[in-house]
Amino acid sequence: MGTITKLLESLLSGLSLGSIYALIALGYTMVYGIAKMLNFAHGDIIMAGAFSIIVFTATCGLPPIVAILLGIVFCMLLGVTVEFLAYRPLRKASPLAVLITAIGVSYLLQNVAQLLFGTSDTEFPISVGNSALALGSVSVKYSVLLTVAVTGAIMIILTLFISKSRTGKAMRAVSEDKDAAELMGINVNRTISVTFAIGSALAAVAGLFYGMAYHYVGATTGAMPGIKAFVAAVFGGIGSIPGAMLGGILLGIIEKLAQTYISTELSDAIVFGVLILVLIVKPTGLLGKKISEKV
Amino acid sequence: MLKVYNANVYYGKIHAIKDVSFEVNDGEIVALIGANGAGKSTILRTISGLLRSRTGVISMDGKNISNTPAHKIVQMGLAQVPEGRRIFLQMTVMENLEMGAFTKGKADPADIESVFAQFPRLKERRKQIAGTLSGGEQQMLAMGRALMSHPRLMMLDEPSMGLAPILVEQIFEIIGKLHRDGTTILLVEQNADMALKIANRAYILETGRVVLTGTGAELAESPAVKKAYLGG
Repeated sequence: MGTITKLLESLLSGLSLGSIYALIALGYTMVYGIAKMLNFAHGDIIMAGAFSIIVFTATCGLPPIVAILLGIVFCMLLGVTVEFLAYRPLRKASPLAVLITAIGVSYLLQNVAQLLFGTSDTEFPISVGNSALALGSVSVKYSVLLTVAVTGAIMIILTLFISKSRTGKAMRAVSEDKDAAELMGINVNRTISVTFAIGSALAAVAGLFYGMAYHYVGATTGAMPGIKAFVAAVFGGIGSIPGAMLGGILLGIIEKLAQTYISTELSDAIVFGVLILVLIVKPTGLLGKKISEKV
Repeated sequence: MLKVYNANVYYGKIHAIKDVSFEVNDGEIVALIGANGAGKSTILRTISGLLRSRTGVISMDGKNISNTPAHKIVQMGLAQVPEGRRIFLQMTVMENLEMGAFTKGKADPADIESVFAQFPRLKERRKQIAGTLSGGEQQMLAMGRALMSHPRLMMLDEPSMGLAPILVEQIFEIIGKLHRDGTTILLVEQNADMALKIANRAYILETGRVVLTGTGAELAESPAVKKAYLGG
């Protein structure tokens, strides 16, 4: 395999992996931006998404597209319920209490999945196969193309939604100043629920692509991509939506390049090492910003 | 229009508002005057629903709003321009105005034009990020934003804070104009001199209690007020 071909192929698979990270990172960053909390159970929504798709296809026998849509709806309801039951009562509590609750929710979801599906991995029923499109000497898997195209479209729609829609503007207002938003007549609690619903829907899509890429899903499937997406969100600047996209994609590419050129075993260490470097140089992350207040 | 009866507000164990009662009648400008920490902002935040009183009743047009969520109180025609403006610094001037009209659904272009007519500077800067505005412009934006909901009662929390004297004059002129146009005003100020000149009636607050009340002119002449707030 030629040097250029090898580089292009690892860039492409990095882009694909990175778009999955970006989808998850968007959930982290939106929830952080609006509720000022790190939802460490977010990664487990990916797992819940993948398992719900398995149940809807394999157990209920629904066609894949219906199962995927139902899986997304299930995750939205799950995310909103978790927020309502676990986080909303702690709205005025210390950030540490909320963080520990989120970790608790994460373990709870993993254990429920283990109870329901056992400790061994379950096969993911949806796949686009291993066939690839040949572009000159570079071969691109259809799954890679699909992942990149769908996540790209989602990111464009999400960006437009946040910048132009009434709800998107309300989300930005709430993320800046909850009391002021409430004084405008914005229902802050409902806006936070909407944010959890959107973040969880994105996690469900990430769960779909994860299942399609790795073919097997287990109770702790969401943990590692969840942590990496969190890293991606911090890397891009937590709270920043373009930051989460950029951070996720860069992280995926760095991981794949590290696997190709350095070492598969060390790739995670390299990913986290890059995060530390970025945070030393730019503590707010790549696109994170602070606006000083004028009096 | 607005009645506060026997309000007691606490921050944890701190008793910030003690047995406060007052009212604002239709068409009035009422001022709440007091030093830092007297509880002025706490009262406004309680009326708006951001804080709750443990006792008593707050009513608007005879309707008890003591337990109404803040985001629903706006719909009843009560808008607050909070202390320190609290505009959305990362959003544009235009988006801030749109947020002011949130309860109306879509912002009415005619309302935006009328805010721009009131504050021409905002029109020039409508696409700018609000964080880049000067303090005076931010105060104008905060007032314009509140106007977008067509309030019948506007509560202004220290609109003169941190502004140069010439801007303070300008802001008070605008408050006077809003009042002449039919908006009832509840004004919270440390700047007793300006506030008493414009107010029909005023209440003086000290450490969470109403200690004195009267017409603006009466209070401006009162020896106690002169001594404490008007520099002798």
